[in-house]
Amino acid sequence: MAFAWKAAGLTYNRYLAIAARVVRRSLKEEQRLQAERRGESDLRFAKWENGKQGELKNLAAANEAAFAESAGKEGQ
Amino acid sequence: MMLSRAARPALKAGSAAAVRPSTVNATAAANYATLREIEGRLKSIRNIEKITKTMKIVASTKLTRAQKAMTESRTYGQTSNTVFEKAETKPMEAEGKKDLIIVCSSDKGLCGGIHSGLSRKVRKTLAESPDTELVILGEKCKAQLGRSNSRNTVLSFAGIGKDVPTFSDAIAIADQISLLPGDYSSVKILYNKFLNAQTYEPTFVEAYSEEAIANSPNYASFEIDDEVLANLREYALANSLFWALAEGHACEQSARRNAMDNASKNAGDMINKFQILFNRTRQAVITGELVEIITGAAASEEG
Repeated sequence: MAFAWKAAGLTYNRYLAIAARVVRRSLKEEQRLQAERRGESDLRFAKWENGKQGELKNLAAANEAAFAESAGKEGQ
Repeated sequence: MMLSRAARPALKAGSAAAVRPSTVNATAAANYATLREIEGRLKSIRNIEKITKTMKIVASTKLTRAQKAMTESRTYGQTSNTVFEKAETKPMEAEGKKDLIIVCSSDKGLCGGIHSGLSRKVRKTLAESPDTELVILGEKCKAQLGRSNSRNTVLSFAGIGKDVPTFSDAIAIADQISLLPGDYSSVKILYNKFLNAQTYEPTFVEAYSEEAIANSPNYASFEIDDEVLANLREYALANSLFWALAEGHACEQSARRNAMDNASKNAGDMINKFQILFNRTRQAVITGELVEIITGAAASEEG
C-alpha cells in the first residue's frame, strides 16, 4: 500500500491534522468559529544539547519546515 | 512615672504585634502607630484573601470544563490502548537502547505539589536508569528538572496549560517527538492520574515502539500491514499524549482549586487573629489615655 501523503513526506499525524483542518474550514460559519478554536495551538519548543537549552521556536512553524525538508528529500 | 506605668499594657500588646523593638520604649503616641500598622496588615491580608477566593472560583469553573475534556480524552486513550491490550503487547527489553520519558506538566504554578510530584517520580526513575532521556512538556517541570537533570533533557515544550489541551497540540508534539534522532526501546508518558478531586498520582502510560507492537503475541489477529504499522504507532502516541495532557490539566485545575481554598481559609484565620489583636490594642490605648486624664485631674486638684 502506498500513500500519496507518505510520499509527500508527511507523517500520519500531520495527515490527520490537515484533514481535520479541511473539515473545520468547510463547516458553517457559527460552528466553524467554535471548531477552529480547537485547531489552534501556539506551542513553543526548544531542543536541548549537553544540558543547555536551545532557542525557543514556534512548534507549528518548525513542523512545517521539517516536513518541507523531508518532502524535498523524497522528491529527489 | 505614672504615665509610663499606664502605658505599659498597651506597649506590651504593641510588642506582641511584632513591631520594631525601638517602639517598645516610645510613649503613648507610638501606640497609635502600632494600631495603624495592625490595621495595615489586616487590610493587606483581606486583599490577599479576596484574590485567592477569586482564583479559587476561576479554578472551579475551569475544573468542570477540564473534567469534561478529561473524560472525553480518556475514551481516545483507552480505545487506542485496547488494541495493544488485545494484542498483548509488552514493552521491549532491548539492551543498549535508551528509554524516553515524556513528562506532562504545565506552564502555571500556584497549584500545590502536582509538578514537583512528577519531577520526584522522574528523578526516582532516573536514579535507576540514568541513561533515560527526557521530553518535558510545560515550564514548571522544565525549571525543576532542567536544574538537576539537564543532561538527560532532549526536548522541552512551552505554552501548555493555558487552556484545555487540544488534539492538535498532541499531534504537533507527537510529530516533533517522532523527529527525534534517538532510537528508543520504550517511550513512556508520565502524567498525573486523576483519582478524585483531592488525590492524583504520577502514572506512566506506555507508548510502544514498532518492534514491540510487531512482537506482541496476538499481533497476527489484527492483520496489520507492515507499512501502516508506523502510522499506528504515531497515532497511538498522539492519542496517549492527548489523554495524558487532558488528565494532567484536570488534575492541575483541581489541585489549584484546593490550594486556593486552603489559602483563603488560612487568610480567614489570620484575619480573625489580627482583628482580635487590633481590638485589644485599641482598648489598651483608650484605657491608657483615661488613666492619664484622671491622674492629671487628680494632680491639679491637689495642687
